[in-house]
Parts: sequence; structure tokens; C-alpha cells
Amino acid sequence: MSGEEPVELTVVARRAGVRIALVRRYLEFGLFEPHPEPADAPRYDPLSAARVARAERLRRDLGLNYAGAVLVCELLDRIRELEARQ
Amino acid sequence: MALAYMDYYEVLGVPRDADQDAIRRAYRKLARKYHPDLNSDSDAEDRFKELGEAYEVLSDPEKRERYDRLGANWRQQEQETPDANFEEFFARQGFGSDDTRVEFSDELFERLFGSYAGADPRGRTGGPLRGHDREALLELSLEDALEGGRRKLTLDHREIDVNFPAGVGDGQLIRLAGKGGPGRDGGPPGDLYLRIGLKPHRTFRRRGDDDLDVDLPVAPWEAALGATVPVQTPTGTAQVRVPAGSSSGRRLRLRGRGLPKSGGRSGDLHAIVKITVPKKLSDRERELYEQLAESSGEASS
Repeated sequence: MSGEEPVELTVVARRAGVRIALVRRYLEFGLFEPHPEPADAPRYDPLSAARVARAERLRRDLGLNYAGAVLVCELLDRIRELEARQ
Repeated sequence: MALAYMDYYEVLGVPRDADQDAIRRAYRKLARKYHPDLNSDSDAEDRFKELGEAYEVLSDPEKRERYDRLGANWRQQEQETPDANFEEFFARQGFGSDDTRVEFSDELFERLFGSYAGADPRGRTGGPLRGHDREALLELSLEDALEGGRRKLTLDHREIDVNFPAGVGDGQLIRLAGKGGPGRDGGPPGDLYLRIGLKPHRTFRRRGDDDLDVDLPVAPWEAALGATVPVQTPTGTAQVRVPAGSSSGRRLRLRGRGLPKSGGRSGDLHAIVKITVPKKLSDRERELYEQLAESSGEASS
């Protein structure tokens, strides 16, 4: 978590610079998850915006599909975790 | 915009007679290698941009021909006949008013739909998008990390003012919103993450994440009899009680005098007893040591 308060999906979209439909699409693919604390409306980690933008850059630049872009993001996170352990 | 001349064939690593398939293959391979989200080297972003420019030209037969013919001056020619925009592209592809024939070539398909092949290296068809996050190292001395302060950093020819709070720890990330890579097509910029790296200190050695070790020089009689002696801590001098009968290597813990932890608490400082013998003795000291030696000898015999 970023330490910042969870935000609505519209805020994620605005910060990623993309339309909300695209953010919903990545949500369906499990790129990020709703914040566990139930609220009136679902909330999300503000860092989700950076995740969405990264997946979308990879998708556009390397010709990946959505599932592929999400997979690459997950692998990048995994590599980062492993490097941090060393 | 005046750009330095680049040998696009060299950028893509292909011979001058390479066919379109070879050019596309080379671009895709290098794009994966130098994509700024996949490669954290500082020059990856520039390389990726160069690749995009090289591919844009060499993948377009008209631009390629112009480039082959005019070399460094190919862009001047381009200004006279403006760069292919969508209208022009559609016209060329048979979408002109006089021609209702629709030809969906691979190239057009890729341009329109963002491509399965990453054929639009600058992502122009995708709409606004936030820039990528960057990470950089901010090396601090222990004292600076404890006190907090300001730094001016130069990253990618930009000067950035950084305020870091008191008590930042090694490996901690400081986020500078909007200081990362530029957004595309009006998208917001990414963030810059500064990873704190603590420089080695001449007095304090790090032990784990939050604890510090410091040598505690102690005179032989202080070690034998016990004493309260000054010890250096990161925030100044403190007093520590050395128990009687302490040998070199004994650890004396000063709770909460180490490095700050998240949550407002701090690690511990370990003062390590190091019995230090004076190099030169006064006559009186020598006499007392001799007496000590004699009495120790009697006690052990």
C-alpha cells in the first residue's frame, strides 16, 4: 500500500490518464484489487494508477494483449521482490 | 524540431538492405529489451525513443526511401511534404472521396487498432497515458538521514529539489509525484521514487535494519572496576555504565538510540567494549601496573 487513502476508480483513471472503461478492463484481469475495507463505493490503492499505466504502456508498445500485459506486470513485481531479498 | 542525425539502420542493428520483416523483428526484439518499464538503465528511455523513431521511418517505405536518398537531410524534405497524418494516410490507403475501395492492409490495421505487433512505437493511436515511474538512488550520510534536509538532484538534464524528512531509513522510498517520465498525448507524468541509500559511516556500523554498533574505548581499570563513560551516538554523546569485569567485545545496549524505524520508534545502539591500553605510561602508572602484575602473579601462583 502507498500510505495514501484509498481512492475511487475514477481517480485511478484520471491519475493514469486513461478512460475508466480501460481501468475496469484491467480490474477484470486482476491487475489490481479493491481495497479490503468495505465502503459505500469500492475503493482502490492510489498506486493502482501507476500499475494501470504501466500495463497499458507495455500493451501498446510491445503489442501485448491485456492478459499478457497483466502477466508481465506480475512477473516484474515478482522480480522486484526477489531482488529486494538479496 | 531539429534532431541530431541518427543512423536508423545502426539503431535497429540491421543491414541497409534489410527487408520489412527483418526490420520489424529487430524493432520488436529491441523494444522488449529497452522498454523503460522493463529496463531500469538510465539510457533505456533514450534508446527506446531512438528505436521508435528509427522504426517509424524504416517501416514506412516512403520515409525509408527519402532517408536512404537524403541521409541526414531527409527531414527537410519532409517539411515540404508534411508528415503523413491520418487523413493523408487514409487517402493513400484508398479512403479518398473518389475511391470507395477499402483496403485493410496489415499496416493500416495495425495503425488503426493499436496493433498486435507494437507497430506504432510512439503509441499515438492509444490516447493519453500517464508516463512511467522512475527510480533513483539518493545517498545520504547517517547524520543527514537522521536530521532530514534538502538536496538538488540532476536527473535527465532536469534539476529536482528534494526535501527528505528526518529519520529516513536505508532502502526507504520517497515519492515525488509528477517527477517521473513525461505523459503521452497529454497524460499526466509518472512519479519519481527516490530510494534512500545510507553511506557507510566511519564511527557507526549498521547491524540489521535499525540497530547500530559503535566501539566503546574503555581504559583497563574502567573495564575491571566498572565506570560510567561517554559514548558517541548518532545524535550526540551519551553516558553508558560499563559494569565491573567487562572484557573486550561485551555489548552494552542503548535502547532506542539506533536508526529510526517506521512507526516512530527507533532501533538500538550497541556499544562494544574495546579495552584500550595507553601507549605511553607515566612513571606512576608503570609502578602501579608493576604492582598489579606482582599481585596478580601472587594470586595465581
